[in-house]
Amino acid sequence: MGNPALRTEAVWKVFHQEAEEVRAVRGVTLTIQPGEFVVLAGPSGSGKTTLLNLIGGLTRPTDGRVWVDGLELTRMGSRELARMRLEKLGFIFQSYNLLPVLSALENAEFPLLLRGMEREQRERRVRELFQRTGLAGLEHRRPGKLSGGQQQRVAVIRAVVGEPALVLADEPTANLDSAASDILLTVMEELNRDLGTTFIFATHDSRLMERSRRLIHLVDGQIVSDQWQESRREQ
Amino acid sequence: MTLPSWWLIGWRNLGRNPRRTFITALGLAAGYFAVIFMIGFADGLKVEMIENGTGLMTGQIQIHSPRYRPDRSLYETIGSRAGADFEAVIRTALQDPAVVAAAPRVYGAGLLSSGQSTRGGMLMGIDLDREPGVSRLGNSLSQGRAPTPAANELLIGTEMARRLELQVGDEVILVAPAADGSMGNDIFRVCGLYRTGMAELDGAFALVPIRSLQRLLALDPGRIHEIAVSTTDPWLAPEAGRRLAAELAPLGVELEVLDWTGLRPEMLEYALLMGSWYSIVVIIVFAIALFGVANTMLMSTFERRREFSVMLALGARPHQILLTVISEATALGWISLVLGVAVTFPLIAWWHQYPIDLSWIYGDLTMLGALIRPVLRIEYNFPMSVWTGLALLLTAVTAGLYPAARAAWMPPADTLSGL
Repeated sequence: MGNPALRTEAVWKVFHQEAEEVRAVRGVTLTIQPGEFVVLAGPSGSGKTTLLNLIGGLTRPTDGRVWVDGLELTRMGSRELARMRLEKLGFIFQSYNLLPVLSALENAEFPLLLRGMEREQRERRVRELFQRTGLAGLEHRRPGKLSGGQQQRVAVIRAVVGEPALVLADEPTANLDSAASDILLTVMEELNRDLGTTFIFATHDSRLMERSRRLIHLVDGQIVSDQWQESRREQ
Repeated sequence: MTLPSWWLIGWRNLGRNPRRTFITALGLAAGYFAVIFMIGFADGLKVEMIENGTGLMTGQIQIHSPRYRPDRSLYETIGSRAGADFEAVIRTALQDPAVVAAAPRVYGAGLLSSGQSTRGGMLMGIDLDREPGVSRLGNSLSQGRAPTPAANELLIGTEMARRLELQVGDEVILVAPAADGSMGNDIFRVCGLYRTGMAELDGAFALVPIRSLQRLLALDPGRIHEIAVSTTDPWLAPEAGRRLAAELAPLGVELEVLDWTGLRPEMLEYALLMGSWYSIVVIIVFAIALFGVANTMLMSTFERRREFSVMLALGARPHQILLTVISEATALGWISLVLGVAVTFPLIAWWHQYPIDLSWIYGDLTMLGALIRPVLRIEYNFPMSVWTGLALLLTAVTAGLYPAARAAWMPPADTLSGL
């Protein structure tokens, strides 16, 4: 059996805010296999976003270890971390965070550009994903000319286009209405099913929790439940 | 993306806030404009000084006996006491491509007397046909007419006329030590008055036909003190002078060829001083601009810190963020340069063509012994235009360095938290 997509071992993250010590993540141990569709749920301040940042190598743990696709992040320097993020991870943010000066296509191909892939190859791969996600014809629009749902689908393409080991999505549906959320979740489910992309969501969107196959509850930085479930869609 | 991606992102970022980009570019362009104009004015003043300083009387090149200067002895004519075929020297000089004209001159010191008044003065013997090619002294007639060749007629300056209470048509007695040891003296008639605006010239020199002065000073027709030479451009004179020295050597006459930089070293020193001043102007103007641009770039990158954090999260390396911001700064520099050139050069061309005449405010101005017209004149200085353009680009890039470094090394999680 190959490496898990993600493994964390007793990960802690402690912030010091003036005299106060905030324990955002407290000894989280977790293993996620390739192809999983996992939701980290919990109230605000439960440590979901901090845990995603630790998994994404955007911040370093105070204690504990993190492996992505078998590579230990906690031993990496900043240059190796940047390379790991480029090759192994995809990110989806609540506010889409597309680069406004680039077209939808240019935004989507950005990780491939960073990898130095040839233009023709980049465009072929991105256009295929635009077709698959219902965005064909919008390739040359700037983000400002796209709806919120369309922008978030472009962000999803940007996250998966490099075929990462893991896609980390922080509240991806928070700024979308029900219809746009439903389309987006369907797109991500299809990508998970067809391409085997592993998704980890941090959310308190009940629709997303219902459609996940593994639901992990965090409270005060600790995992309080880790349940496997059949998503409503599969039911 | 077809262009190199960092350049493209940087370039497009400038279009996000066109008003801010335009105002920042305008600041740099104004710096370019200010530098080019200041240098243009200074060059105008310098050229005016050199052209007038050499064109009024000195000429751009002078040829003498090597023993004539600095004492300017009456006896040290070209070819010494025997004289020389100075026409051969003039013919050889005129063959040089940079030489426009050449004219022989004779000098003597004497007394001018009229009625009860006597004053000392310099007597300058000129070839009436050829002198206008090398100096404007004889062209500055304010009254009367030019002397008749070989006649006992002379031109004096208005200041000398005032001191001697002379008018056109009056007689004046010239007394001067002659080359044969005697005292030459003769009666001359004032045929005209000249006015250059320089009191030292207008009060000291009497212009006499060369042959008449040679007679007064007991000099043979073949004996002259100086050949004044004019060139197409004063700045070509040093090179032309070196060439002439080599070209005249085969004539077998002992000659000293001096261009204006040797004859009037103070003017050359002034020109060199101006060169150093230009660099100081460029540094001061762009140092001021640097802080303005850096502030704008810092604000602009601060507003986009989330985008940089996203780029870092997606795997971009800090040096790639650095490149993006530097590309933006470089693009801003180019826009500023184009704007600066587009505004500056047409205006300079117009001003060069139509210098502003301030003679209705100011009278004659002199500087380092040279007469300067009271005009605001601008000269093109292409090397300085190029250097200033490079300084502008360097300023823009330098202004982008600190904001770029801030953007490149920001911790992404801090900015992304809660996004």
